[in-house]
Amino acid sequence: MATPEANEEKPGENSILWVARPMATAARQFTKSLFRPSTIVYPYERLEDPKFRDRLEVASGKPFGVGEVWDNYRGVHALNIATCISCNLCAFSCPDICIDMVTVAGGDPKHPKKCPQIDYGKCSYCGFCSDACPEGCLTMTTRYELSTPKRSEMVYSPEKLYQVFRSKLPMNPIRLARPANEDAILLDPPLCIGCNACARDCPTNCITMLDVPKPEAKPGEKLPRRIWKEPVVNDSDCVRCGTCISVCPKECLFWGTRK
Amino acid sequence: MSEMWINMGPQHPMTHGLWNLRVKIDGEMILDVDPEMGYLHRGIEKISEDRHYNEVITLMDRCCYVAGLAWEHLYIIASEEALHLEAPERALYLRVLCEEFQRLASHLMWYAAFVQDIGLMSPFLYGMRDRDLILDLLQSYTGARMTYEYMRVGGVRSDLPPGFTDRTRKVLDWLNARFVEYDQLCLGSDIFHKRCDGLGILKANDCVAHGVTGPMLRSAGVPRDLRRDRPYAVYDQLEFDIAHADTADVTGRYLVRMEEMRQSLRILRQVVDWLDRHPGPVMADQLPRWLGAPYAPVGNEGYLLKRHYPKGLGFSAVEEPHGEAQAYVVNEGGEHPYRVKFRSPVFANISAARQYLIGYRVADIPPIMGSVDVCVGEVDR
Repeated sequence: MATPEANEEKPGENSILWVARPMATAARQFTKSLFRPSTIVYPYERLEDPKFRDRLEVASGKPFGVGEVWDNYRGVHALNIATCISCNLCAFSCPDICIDMVTVAGGDPKHPKKCPQIDYGKCSYCGFCSDACPEGCLTMTTRYELSTPKRSEMVYSPEKLYQVFRSKLPMNPIRLARPANEDAILLDPPLCIGCNACARDCPTNCITMLDVPKPEAKPGEKLPRRIWKEPVVNDSDCVRCGTCISVCPKECLFWGTRK
Repeated sequence: MSEMWINMGPQHPMTHGLWNLRVKIDGEMILDVDPEMGYLHRGIEKISEDRHYNEVITLMDRCCYVAGLAWEHLYIIASEEALHLEAPERALYLRVLCEEFQRLASHLMWYAAFVQDIGLMSPFLYGMRDRDLILDLLQSYTGARMTYEYMRVGGVRSDLPPGFTDRTRKVLDWLNARFVEYDQLCLGSDIFHKRCDGLGILKANDCVAHGVTGPMLRSAGVPRDLRRDRPYAVYDQLEFDIAHADTADVTGRYLVRMEEMRQSLRILRQVVDWLDRHPGPVMADQLPRWLGAPYAPVGNEGYLLKRHYPKGLGFSAVEEPHGEAQAYVVNEGGEHPYRVKFRSPVFANISAARQYLIGYRVADIPPIMGSVDVCVGEVDR
């Protein structure tokens, strides 16, 4: 095994070097640290200040290349309400179930627009919600100071998250969720009653109801009571949120591979 | 003198976490020990059964607070095998990068805690200071300092930021110089040798009999390392040596861990060079959508029954900083893993405490248990 230099020239038994050498090492570090303290006095100085950008620089006292440590940081979310399509994917993907979809102003009164409200008392800052967001409207910023005397203030409404978005903090690079080719919304035609629920609630309006021919009733056979329309999904616009599946009253929509 | 049982823990400076070491003493001599675990049990295996494959990753970070990415790697390998997915090669290299960074961070954390256990304060500060540089690097591409949530089934979350590799090389050079200093402080000191030589001896056959792995096994002269003996990810394409010592005592474990850190630097240099030369995708192309997001929305679970995915079993064994961790994932075709089982190396290492503590003195317990490198988060899961 490769032995370190300190081990190679071992001092003899009862040599003063056994004590003097480590003390000299510590003293060397001590004198160095007198001139360049690496402690950051937190509330007055901050780690994200440019002068602490590279702590290697602080620790060694030598100018090294500056790297951006903070841009990827996962802190408080920023929500762009204008581009949110209310697809629920952030709430579905949250492992802590801390995202609620709440109504925001400015939607159609019949089908109100819903945007995520995040309870930071539960949030673990994993970033699955911003990864799942198909529109890139929910991202994470570098803000990390959330302390508050009231527990209720930990719940950030969509409006408050929009304020974070407006504050132009550095944001985590946006990674748009990519729909996979493999999964698509499929229809079980005999079950469909043509009720339009899926097309009505689709956040991207990628479902259109097309007419299907009404079959001729054979003598003695009773045709089902239904609207003779069926949903057709535009796969390229679909964000695979599953809203249509959850609203379907007849459970005739399901995930599958398009042939 | 009469015999008595004393409790070291569950909240005790020696324990590094919530666990209890009951010690039967006669004066200063240790006659018997009885480790008690379970104070930190969170039921991670059971919670995993109710989560998506990707969401289990958040739990893996909580398994071990000093080596979260190594546990993510462990789980990801097993679940990819169970789901019949393959990650692109660049993602494999990024995972190895993560794991070696974690090994460095974990060993530095161990160094800081261990030297404090034997009464040295300055090396503690040096270890923590240098670990922060690695945490900065990890934060710059994973986005967090402790709970990384970086790996995904089928790849990793994001690619490296610009300038990362140059920065890494500088940190590696800086660390390489620091290790000399660490050895001067510890191995060059008579106090260290008087405190640690010949303590906590656990021979190779006892290690094997009790399932003790990792640096403890290697310090007993067995050069077993899963990175070489059962290569996963891209370890078979990297050059490194297995650190081992023959003394089987506390000093031996110190030597093994310090040498492992040097080997980690060596691996990291190769990985960083490779990453510079080979840009590419970090996520697999064909990922089932359900890996990313949707639950069965409440009130309509019937459609789950209409989906049929290939079933599968996944097993993985990873050389975690503390030893050999293993995971077993059963995929029964649903959106959640049917069953997840983890093997924690530290659990076995602590359980063998009777073998390496009896016969020593009470004051020897902190250095011996410190050399085991206990992480209670993964013991209790």
